[in-house]
Amino acid sequence: MSVEFSEKALEQLRELLGHYPDRQAAVIPALHLAQEEFGYITQEVEDYVAKLLEIPATDVHQVFTFYTMFRDRPVGKYHIKVCESVACHIMGSTNVLDYLRKKLGIDVGQTTPDGRFTLTTVECLGACEMAPMMQVNDDFYGPLDEKKLDEILESLE
Amino acid sequence: MPTLKIDGKEVWVEPGTNVLEAAKKLGIEIPHYCYHPALKVAGSCRMCLVEIEGMPKLQISCHTKAADGMVVWTNTEKVRKARQAVLEFLLVDHPLDCPVCDQAGECYLQIYYMEHGLYKSRLRENKIKKEKAKPIGKHIILDQERCILCSRCVRFTREVTKTFELGIFNRGNRSVVDLYPGISELQNRYQGNLADICPVGALTDRNFRFQTRVWYLQQAKSICPGCSRGCNIEVDYNISREYKAGGRRIPRIRPRHNPKVNGYWMCDDGRYGYKYVDALDRILLPRRLDEGEPVELSWPAAYTMAADLLSEATKEGADKVGVLLSAKMTNEELFAARKLFSSLGVSRIGFRVEPKEPGYEDDLLIKADKNPNTKGAELLELGLGAGKSDVSALLDAAEAGEVDTVVIFNEDLSKSSEAERAEAVLPKLGRVIYVGTNWNATAAKADLVLPMATFVEQEGTFTNFEGRVQRFWKAVEPLGESRTGLSILAGLATALGLEPVSENAEEVFAELAEQVPAFFRGSATRNLVSTGNWLRARLGRR
Repeated sequence: MSVEFSEKALEQLRELLGHYPDRQAAVIPALHLAQEEFGYITQEVEDYVAKLLEIPATDVHQVFTFYTMFRDRPVGKYHIKVCESVACHIMGSTNVLDYLRKKLGIDVGQTTPDGRFTLTTVECLGACEMAPMMQVNDDFYGPLDEKKLDEILESLE
Repeated sequence: MPTLKIDGKEVWVEPGTNVLEAAKKLGIEIPHYCYHPALKVAGSCRMCLVEIEGMPKLQISCHTKAADGMVVWTNTEKVRKARQAVLEFLLVDHPLDCPVCDQAGECYLQIYYMEHGLYKSRLRENKIKKEKAKPIGKHIILDQERCILCSRCVRFTREVTKTFELGIFNRGNRSVVDLYPGISELQNRYQGNLADICPVGALTDRNFRFQTRVWYLQQAKSICPGCSRGCNIEVDYNISREYKAGGRRIPRIRPRHNPKVNGYWMCDDGRYGYKYVDALDRILLPRRLDEGEPVELSWPAAYTMAADLLSEATKEGADKVGVLLSAKMTNEELFAARKLFSSLGVSRIGFRVEPKEPGYEDDLLIKADKNPNTKGAELLELGLGAGKSDVSALLDAAEAGEVDTVVIFNEDLSKSSEAERAEAVLPKLGRVIYVGTNWNATAAKADLVLPMATFVEQEGTFTNFEGRVQRFWKAVEPLGESRTGLSILAGLATALGLEPVSENAEEVFAELAEQVPAFFRGSATRNLVSTGNWLRARLGRR
């Protein structure tokens, strides 16, 4: 893959930089942009982001490895993130996870062979009123039960 | 100026000083890991907590500015308990490597545990495993398990060398210090300092690794002879355990703080450049060539031979003698040599040798001139002038038949820009005397070779490029039969029946300071004096 932002992404980045006092502060949003553009972050991408922000690549790598929402490998078309924090756990996130495992035939951290679904767990997404909940790409779903999960997965087919 | 009270004692400090430094001024050491006076404050280790009256919580003293009327307590029950707790957290994942760790004996985890920890381990979980014994540079090995993530090394590569090789990656108890994955090793010329500033055993020096325990080492204050900067150093020498470090008497050299010259740092070239001191090619005995065959001599015989060679030569005419001193020699040696050879009537006394390739230089410490005392030689008005290196001028004169005797002090001409010409011309000369520390192509062909002591085996002063006269002290005895430059010159003076030369560097310096205006303590040279080193040289204080 050629590591270069689209014109649109570059435009977004320029706008972003205006929001922060220094370039160091823009690393997280810049990495989000990069992840949208390229799907996941490789070292090449880190070097590219560092070049764009005119900061050392080490600084980008420190941020990248600190946060769990940045990926170092590709994910399926639909990235399912099941919340495992306290509220969701009490409301049955274990069952949700078990059902998804069985239904998709993959374990946490894996992607279905057809490249459609990736299953991961996350900590609190701040939507406890929907517990047990999950995030699929950018959308929240919950409260979840087996019937609801079937419906959601079907809508994503 | 803020005046504050620390542990009941009053102290005034410059505005902007932090509490930790203010306490240091009173001789109170507040334990700390991440704070380093030459680096930006990180405030990450939490070890330097102190109690400040009027503040509800303990404060980190490294990041709290001293304020007027502040009342600080550094050793209350509350503070001690907090320190113990911080230490307990820092040690949660620390391995029990002490018996095989180079840092043992100068490790601040050990030191502060004995002073402030002394708790029983409450750890029931397994320690986190990380990467161990990972070479991250030519001179440095990283042990991630021993690291307490103080980030001194990261800040060093950021603020001092500006090379940004190191970072702290991942998070929580999986955090590690590591190289940026895009590079395979440290890329700066100052990496030895990383082992110095690491307060624990995470970054250790590959040169010093497993060589000796630090408690067998003694220290001598010295000056790095690696370039004209004259970084202040500490020579760590070992004479109580001779079998350690493979017989090397000097297992390591470390920078000594001097804010006016080198700060807290020194370069790798200087730090690891001392190995010739214990090298197998040291010249250990005087030696002459008898029809090309080497014959070893005693010192009395060597002095007699040298005196004979020199008087023969001067009888033919003192201007047929050329002397090449070295900018690696001390001010005292240069002065004594100038005096000795001048009294023989010799006027061709040079010292400038041009290297084959120009030396590396940067904006931090490293200077292109790889001699410690070029300035000293210049102030002594040595040199042949002529707008070229003294070697070139001497070789010109030799080729023209104007010079047929040369005395070379510790300069390997085969490493100079005149290597080829020197190789062709020197063997044709009547007499060549070489005085030096290690064997080399120039020494090998000399008619007489006198073994000289290295900088760790003698004392004296160097004048750095700015004109600072800096004193260094002796660490170990001269190897084999080698003698200090002053001792050799004194022996020569006696053998030649000249005015005696003192072997004592302090005496020679006193004479030098009286006779050479540039070294004279007067208003014109106040800069020289204000370094303190000049005065210390005169007073002979250690």
